[in-house]
Order: sequence, then structure tokens, then C-alpha cells
Amino acid sequence: MFRVALLSLFALIALSSSPTAFAQSDCKSVVKASPFGPNDQTGATNRVTAAVTKAAAAEIQTGKVTNMSYPLVDGVPLFGSRFTKTILTATSLAPGASFGENQLTYMEDTWLSQSHVGTHLDGMGHIGIKDCYYNQTAMGKFINQNNMTKLGLEHLKSFATRGVIIDMVKVFQDAGKLKSNAACKKPCLDKGTVITAADLQAGLKMYNVTLREGDMVFIHTGWGDLFEQFPAQNALYNSGEPGLGKEAASWLASQKVVGVGNDTWAVEVIPSENPKEAFPVHALLLTDNGIHIMENVRTDLIAAEAASTRRATFFVNMTVPKAVGMTGNFVAIDAIQ
Amino acid sequence: MIHAMRSIASLSRSRLVRGAIAAAVASFAVAVGAAAPERRYVVAFANATEEPGVSVEGTGFTGADIRESFILAARTLPIDLVFYDNRGDDARAIANAEAAIARKVDLYVQYHRGAAGNAGAAQKLKAAGIPVLAVNEAVPGAPLYGLDNAAAGRIAGDALAQFAVRTWAGQPTVAAVIGRVSTNSERVQGVAEALRKRLPNVRVSMLETQGNPAQAAPLLGPLLAAHPTSKLLIAATDDATALAVKAAVEAAGRARDTAIVGHGVDRSIHGGANDRKELDPTNRAGIVLGSVAFYLDRMGYQVLPLALRMLRGEAVPARTATPHKLITPANVFAEYPPYDMN
Repeated sequence: MFRVALLSLFALIALSSSPTAFAQSDCKSVVKASPFGPNDQTGATNRVTAAVTKAAAAEIQTGKVTNMSYPLVDGVPLFGSRFTKTILTATSLAPGASFGENQLTYMEDTWLSQSHVGTHLDGMGHIGIKDCYYNQTAMGKFINQNNMTKLGLEHLKSFATRGVIIDMVKVFQDAGKLKSNAACKKPCLDKGTVITAADLQAGLKMYNVTLREGDMVFIHTGWGDLFEQFPAQNALYNSGEPGLGKEAASWLASQKVVGVGNDTWAVEVIPSENPKEAFPVHALLLTDNGIHIMENVRTDLIAAEAASTRRATFFVNMTVPKAVGMTGNFVAIDAIQ
Repeated sequence: MIHAMRSIASLSRSRLVRGAIAAAVASFAVAVGAAAPERRYVVAFANATEEPGVSVEGTGFTGADIRESFILAARTLPIDLVFYDNRGDDARAIANAEAAIARKVDLYVQYHRGAAGNAGAAQKLKAAGIPVLAVNEAVPGAPLYGLDNAAAGRIAGDALAQFAVRTWAGQPTVAAVIGRVSTNSERVQGVAEALRKRLPNVRVSMLETQGNPAQAAPLLGPLLAAHPTSKLLIAATDDATALAVKAAVEAAGRARDTAIVGHGVDRSIHGGANDRKELDPTNRAGIVLGSVAFYLDRMGYQVLPLALRMLRGEAVPARTATPHKLITPANVFAEYPPYDMN
């Protein structure tokens, strides 16, 4: 009897320690290895070296700062269950509630929000294939009910680098292929429009820019015009978008950029080129290449600035909170020229 | 001798140089040829109907859904599209073909229910040397891409029968096909065939809604009353009817006795990550087992590659059928990835 029990125990241990018992994927066959080493959790911000930042600083010539963020407030486009709410604590303003002889008062907020709202950054832990995330990380081992224990935002380095704006509206206008959406008050690429590598290259050529390692690339599609009209066009804004096709995303990855952002909610073309694929550009950039994605970026102002000054490059002023174990967060971005 | 050898060497050298130049020119030409973009083709799509709200093929899809699928599919192909609306009218179908001929399109995709209109359009297009690809309805002399209603029905019937064998073995079971029964005879026949294959003694009733899902409850009432202790297998010819059946059996307190399969997989029955509908990964215990995909919202992705093969002079089969498949809560997100989760 004891022998049977012992054998059963061994069998159970053997079963529970076999890979199939955990139903985990072999992430080495699912996700590419990181170019930054087997233990890397940082991704492409490894490319922002001191030399890269110093070179980017040369972009600051006039000191003009251009805003690249949308306001984060009730009513901006959010998907079904997403929310961002603030609660103001202002009890100190009540009569007699001020502090001291100098009658100091204070206010503060409680911010209840999901992280992927408004102008935001997708971190390394945002997107995976099966349970495999950036750098072949079998993510099932590194999550709890509050956060991730690997690939969190705390591992990111600086984004103090050169930014490049690529004006797709102008590219499509010049090529005579712009099909704007009637709801856009300014010209925009319509949803479902695929941006190719050739389109990106045409946009760079327009301002005589060559991408270099460590750049942040921002693409102006005009679709953000619908964001600006919130809440009137929220449903249309969320229903699809123009954006990168897979070939264009691969080309950007080959240029060793740090991040890619645009004035849409997913950066990539929706509906996808292949209707059976879900967010393939996200997987290509984030999961396979460690390249960040910035969504809902306000690009119209810097695109206009580039058009008037003939300068499509700038110094990126963007910081990301050291939010431990988080998959992404809202950010504020400025372009300094 | 030496002079002669030098001459030979010199000749060889000059031949070598000439050969090298020729090879370089040839390889440049090949390279240029390879780099040259493929010519773009103008393809006309004459839709069955563009009337808002009018569904096609006895499903919940509209002509606009089909047109949109052509626009999306063409994004990555060297194809420029021209659209026509046949409006279900033979004379219009022929006039549209004439307009496309005047426009000198490279290929004509015809989707029209009407033999006379199809024959007339085909005759004119053939005379103009424009190849035709037929969609869902035969056009004389043209290859056909279309639904396989009988196969779709068999998938639905088999899913219901398998469920009954697995779950209700030995219990009295009746079956019904409900919806636009009279105008979807192949689909209905397919359901009945598959049901009887696994359940030889099952009685299959036909309940005609005339395309009005609201008729589901009054039509099901007598069936439910006549079989108070039986299990019910119900194939709906479309998704809206499947959902109406679900509501009706729930209202009658018979949901636990019922299994339903629909046809189409339109947006009424599946949604996104936030827009949860009946077929959803989190709803695996529902009484709607699934729906058979008709992919009318993806038809362009099937048809345009065929058109491109024809334009490139490649042979295409005389008949290409839609690859119907049962979509369930277990595979709906794989088949229709939601894009509202980012």
C-alpha cells in the first residue's frame, strides 16, 4: 500500500514538473531573441546612449517647444471598458480646515485609470504571442494579480533622443492618392489605409532626413483630427485607423529605432492587411524587436512646424514613470527644436 | 607565333570584355525587370445590391459588407476597383457591363441573381474581350466563386447531431430548421442530411419565418408544446434567427433542452473584446453552439486573388467554394480577431 502511494506521489511529481503540465510555450521558437542580450528587460531604449542624446541635443536650435500630447479627460476616445477618472480631494478649502497661522491649504487627486489611455506608451510587457513576450519571456511565470515581475516600465532607459516626424498626409497628397475621411476637418488618411515602407521613405525624403539608430519616429496620418473632436467622433476614431503595414514596420525595425508613434490608437493599420491576424505590427515591433509604440500622439502641430520650417527633426522630451511592473503608461511628449 | 598568340589573347580579352559587358547589361535588364512594379489592373465589381439594410444570401450580411471586403482586400494587390450596383435588376446588370466595357476594365466580377442579366452581360463582355469571374451565381463561360450552401448546412446539422449524441444519448430528440427555409433549400437539405446521418430516427420540422426573426417564437410555440419532454436541435438559416430562437426557448423555459446552430457569423452574433456577443470565448456554456461561417465580409480576400490569377493568364478552377467552418466560442477570436482591445 505504502509502495503504491509512493509510486503515485512520484508519478504526480513527474507530471507536475513536465513542461506539458504547465501548458507553457517554448518561447525560443515563438519570439525572436533580443539583440540586447538574454537577460534584457529594457528593449530599444538601450539604444539611447550618451552619444545619441548628445547628438540629439544638437536639434535644439531655436528652443521652440511643440506639444505632442492630447488632453486626458472624460470624453476622449476610450475602448468599451476602458476608463480614466479623477477624484479631487479639496477638504482643506472648507472653512477652518486650513493649516497654521499662515492658513495653508492643499488639494490632491485620486486618479483611477487604466494605463493604456490617452497619449501613452506601450511597454515590453504589453503584447505577446501565446504566453511569450519580449526576449522570449514565458510571461506566465512572471505575473501576479497586481503587476508583472518582469518587463515592467521600471526597466526602461531614457527617451532623450532625436525625434523625426513623417508627414503621411503630405506624402499621400503629393502622390495623388489621399482619400480623406469626410469626418476629418483637416485632411487625413482614411481608416484601413496601409502605410508602406516606400511611403515612409518618401516622407523622409521630403525633408531630406535619413533615419539613424536610436531615433524615435512619429507619423502624422491626420486620423488624430477625430480624437480632437471628442466625443463626437469617438466611435469612428475607434472603428479602425490608417497605419503601418507589416512591411513598413519591419523596415522601421531594421533602422534600429527606439519607438514608433502616431496619431491613432494602435499605430498599425486597422483592419489588418490579413483579417485573420490580430495586431501583427504590435507583435513585430514590441515582442520581436523591443521597439516601443506610442499611441494617440498629437502629430499635427509638429507636422505643421516641419512644413513651415522645413525641419522634420527635433529633440524628444518624454519621460516615463518608473511604474514597477506596469505594461504601459500615459506620457507627455514635447518636440524641442 | 608570339604575335599570333598575342592576337588570340587580345581577341580573347576583347571577347571577354564584350561578354562581360553583355552579361552586365543582361543582368541589369533582369534586375530592372525584377524591380519594375507589376502593372496595375482595373477590376470591376458589380454587386448584387447596395440597398442599405438589404441582406444577401439569406444571411445577416449586406451588399455593403461585401463591397467593403473588396476594398480591404485590394489594399495589398495591384488592383484598382470600380464598383457597380446591379440592384437585382437584369437590365441594370447589362447596362453596368456596358459601362465597364466603355471604361475598358481588365476584368469584371459579376454578382447578380438573374439568369437573363448574367447571360446578357456575359455576351457583351465576351465580345469586348473582358474576362468575367462570377460570384455566387453562375455566369455563362465564367469561373464561379461561391458559397456551398449544402456543405454549410451539413456542418450545422453535424454539429447539432454530435452534440445530441454526446449530451442527450437515448433521450427523445426532435429537430427543426427555422428561418428562410423555402429560399435556402440546399442549406436546409444539408442540415437534414447531416442530422439523419447520426440520428436516423430524428424528426426534422421546417419552420418558415419569411425572413422575420420575430416569427421564431410563434413558430416554435407549437413545436415546444408538442414535445414537452423532448430535447430540441434547432438549425437557424441565419444568425438573427438563431438569436431569436434562443430568446424564445429561454422565455418558454426550455433553454436547458435546446441546442442551436446558426448560419453566417455576422456581427449580430460575434463581437470584440469589449463588445461581447453570443459567440464569445467567455460564453462557452451557451445554448448557441456556434454558427457556420459564410465569410461574406471577407469575400474580396477570396475573389480578388482569383481575379489576379486570371489576369496573369493562370488557370483557375471552374468552381471555387467558400471554405465554410463552424465558429464557436472556442475559436471565434482566432477566426475573427477582435481589434477593440488595444
